[in-house]
Amino acid sequence: MRTGIFFCQVEEGLHLNIDAIAKYSANLPGVETVQILGLKTRQDAKVLSEIIQANSLERIVIAGDMPGYYKPVFTKAMALAGLNTDEIRLASFQEHGARGDVAMDRAKATVACANMAVPFSLVAIPSKNPVNHATLIIGGGIAGIQASLEIANAGKLVYLVEQTGTIGGHMAMFDKTFPTLDCAACILTPKMVSIGQHDMINLLTNSRITEVSGKPGAYRVKIHQRARRVDVDACVACNICTDVCPVKVESEFDSKISLRKAIYIPFPQAVPNAYLVDGENCSYILSEGKKCGVCVKKCPKECINLNESDRDIDIEVGNIIIATGYELLDVGKIEQYGYGKIPNVLTSLEFERLTNASGSTGGRIVTKTKSINKKTGKEEWALTPDGLPPRNVAIIHCVGSRNKKYNAYCSRVCCMYSLKFAHLIKEKIPNANVYEFYIDMRAFGKGYEEFAERIRHEGTFVVRGHSTKVEMKGEQIVVRGEDILNDKIVEFKVDMVILAVGLIPAPGTEDITRILGITRDSDGWFSELDYNGNPTDTERGGIYVAGMCQGPKDIPDTVAQASAVAAGVLGSITSGKGIGHLSSVSLSEIEARAKTVHIL
Amino acid sequence: MAIRINPKFIDDLDRFGAEDVQLCYQCGDCSAICAHSDEIFTFPRKSMRRLQMGLERKIETTLEPWLCYYCGQCSDLCPREADPGETMMSLRRWLISRYDFTGIARQFYKSKASEIIYVIGIALLTGLFLFYYGFSRGDFHVYDGKEAFLPSPFIHAFDLMIGSLMVFFLAINAFRMWYFTMIKGVTIKIPWWLYVKHLFTLPWHFFTQQRYASCETSDKSKLYMPWIVHLGLMLGYVIMLVLVMGFIEQFQYGPEGPEINWGVHIFGYLATIGLSTGIIYFILNRLNKKKYIQYKKTHSTDWVFIILLLLIVVTGIVQHILHRMGINMWANIIYVVHLIFVVPWLLRMPFSKWAHLVYRPLAMYLAAVQRDVKVKQEALSKSLFISVK
Repeated sequence: MRTGIFFCQVEEGLHLNIDAIAKYSANLPGVETVQILGLKTRQDAKVLSEIIQANSLERIVIAGDMPGYYKPVFTKAMALAGLNTDEIRLASFQEHGARGDVAMDRAKATVACANMAVPFSLVAIPSKNPVNHATLIIGGGIAGIQASLEIANAGKLVYLVEQTGTIGGHMAMFDKTFPTLDCAACILTPKMVSIGQHDMINLLTNSRITEVSGKPGAYRVKIHQRARRVDVDACVACNICTDVCPVKVESEFDSKISLRKAIYIPFPQAVPNAYLVDGENCSYILSEGKKCGVCVKKCPKECINLNESDRDIDIEVGNIIIATGYELLDVGKIEQYGYGKIPNVLTSLEFERLTNASGSTGGRIVTKTKSINKKTGKEEWALTPDGLPPRNVAIIHCVGSRNKKYNAYCSRVCCMYSLKFAHLIKEKIPNANVYEFYIDMRAFGKGYEEFAERIRHEGTFVVRGHSTKVEMKGEQIVVRGEDILNDKIVEFKVDMVILAVGLIPAPGTEDITRILGITRDSDGWFSELDYNGNPTDTERGGIYVAGMCQGPKDIPDTVAQASAVAAGVLGSITSGKGIGHLSSVSLSEIEARAKTVHIL
Repeated sequence: MAIRINPKFIDDLDRFGAEDVQLCYQCGDCSAICAHSDEIFTFPRKSMRRLQMGLERKIETTLEPWLCYYCGQCSDLCPREADPGETMMSLRRWLISRYDFTGIARQFYKSKASEIIYVIGIALLTGLFLFYYGFSRGDFHVYDGKEAFLPSPFIHAFDLMIGSLMVFFLAINAFRMWYFTMIKGVTIKIPWWLYVKHLFTLPWHFFTQQRYASCETSDKSKLYMPWIVHLGLMLGYVIMLVLVMGFIEQFQYGPEGPEINWGVHIFGYLATIGLSTGIIYFILNRLNKKKYIQYKKTHSTDWVFIILLLLIVVTGIVQHILHRMGINMWANIIYVVHLIFVVPWLLRMPFSKWAHLVYRPLAMYLAAVQRDVKVKQEALSKSLFISVK
């Protein structure tokens, strides 16, 4: 077929040379004329039809970054020349990824395909890329748990790597979930148990990844597992070792509002349900075996081995899912809220542990009580079960969120959990006054607005206006803010202040970025390939993100994304190829393949 | 009542220094942290909102910008970096231009050039007039007495003339301020005895600037330096103004020879100390920009203000030294230079930042009256509300 190729592109990119492509296209079979029209927005259909007639063309190929823009004028020209207007083929450089190092080859290939009237996507199929059926999941929070179960239930092997001693993550710390007020543990713990019992899940707690090499479909991963020093299979969680351990440390699981021992179980429902030794605080390990060691002597199952050393594990996986989650912003640096100076100013996670029935106060909401440390003589404030319940509580939203100095973004969950807190306080202390200071109420999900409405009706004082001043006046905490809707400056005397602290990526996110060679956005969250179309893929094939580590989201969204990730992983396994990469296909291959494709 | 909106108001205010108002998302942090914001006068957030909505009339009739002393805490805290402190400052500039019936103030704030031309023009006229007067009547080499180049009775009369011109403009502007805020801005009639009741606040705030002192909560040191220095500068200025207007003749030797009137001089020296410390402090802080957020942005009119005052003080000191040393010819020259700066300064005052010397204490006074009225109004509306219920 006599073909005319028209280049409608003037902007030559770094890697794109139109003249060279034109020269290449002139040698393609059937090409009669090659014209470089440049990026003139108005083309004259008459002039074009004259060119068509002069060369007696039968097919037109429009090549460039936006060839579709010129299709109407060429259609007109073809019609003027009395030809079949169906024979206009587009060769879009931009659409088919003609950029970077592969730009020239890709552009040539698109022109070649268009010349033969073969859709580029039919020809350019990446070569098969065998995929290892095992999957590595980094992070054992609800996202990691959900993704693990989805993949393992499909019969594929999962390595679940968790850096603490138990899976569960932040969700295990929560008392209730919004907006349904379901018990978080009732949703989470069955899933955790199935992780522990699943044949296809290899649970690696106390571990972190140190090195990743290989390519999509065949990654080699080095994992460093810190010594647990307790035999997981033998331990029956009898608690005798904890009873005798003399070392007391702040409990990470309890947001540091209570103490744990150096040999401990994070919480009773932990998976694996076995104790572990905190190597940084155990006096036996710190003194290199000279002191203590009493837990070893008392253990009835003889499962404690304090001399156990760390080990490195090498695994091979096909896909990697990152589900590392988040942590709270260090609220101590936002001075005006007095966190760290005023005892009864709590962060949201601290309150979450306080109100949780498995927390140190058994779920009683109390204010801190003062005691004098006998050794140092200093005042100490602690949350004890016999503390006084607060009569007035202020909850301040957007602490460090939507603030150009800290986090410019909205942390998305704070409004809802703050409302949940209000409900929990009202439920447990019915005559308490709760003041919510908010900027904008972001009740965005299914049933959320109704939940917010419900909390308002429960008698919580919801103040439109962000309090920014928490100070002690004598023994009393005073919270000052502007009640914007009533045009008033308000000062509330309260017994407890809860700060809805903004969220930031989990510690170690930076390491993972470096090890996996993926990118993060300006806020520190992992970048997804495309926010709308591919919210779970990253720029690197075979590496996915799920949950908070991609950006703040609530539990339903996290679970949904985790399941979506599993679909992607399973798809790559069953199709037998990873996220195929076109770069592996050469120009000559595409040319050869185009000849074999026949379109009727 | 219909409310007129000026959608371009916010752009208009750009020229006065408020550039980031549009960023504000109404969280109220600024109002909560402000030491002066209370139940009756809530700011700066409300002003930001009014600006965003283009409620020009509402802002014209409010006293709120005058109640802010710009400690800078709000700008420091603002999560949007919308700079509410600077916005209040800009609103004060805008209000000065609004109270001014001549439109000169507005011109100054909108165009640097016009202000400089105004100042230089008046300076040249003054210089020409004084040299003409001096050479036609007196002796260039004599400073004191009847033969003097610029005899003190003449300067006294000249000062009073310029001073009364200044007072004329200021008085009309102050009247307009009262009219805007108390007649247009308050819906119910204000009984006259309220004005009498609060009269004492006028001198109290004028001489102590006590409200400025309470800004110090933000600062870690006990003494809030901007307040003390500002007070010193203001008192120095007022003393100097009184000396110049009333006692200028006492500064020169009597007909009998070099007898110095120390009673007047001591005040002159005190005022000079206050003025020079203030100027040096403000120039350094405005150049350094680190310690206090309120000095971070400087409008062109502020620089004219500071530099003119600096020149006045320096020439005043030099002229005094030359006079005391008996170098009469140079003393005469510097005297003319000094007056060349003083006259535009005085004639610029009603249209510039220095007008807040009058507006600030007046605003405190009017605000005290308004407060009583608004409390009463609120109580009234509350009782009505309950009865309706």
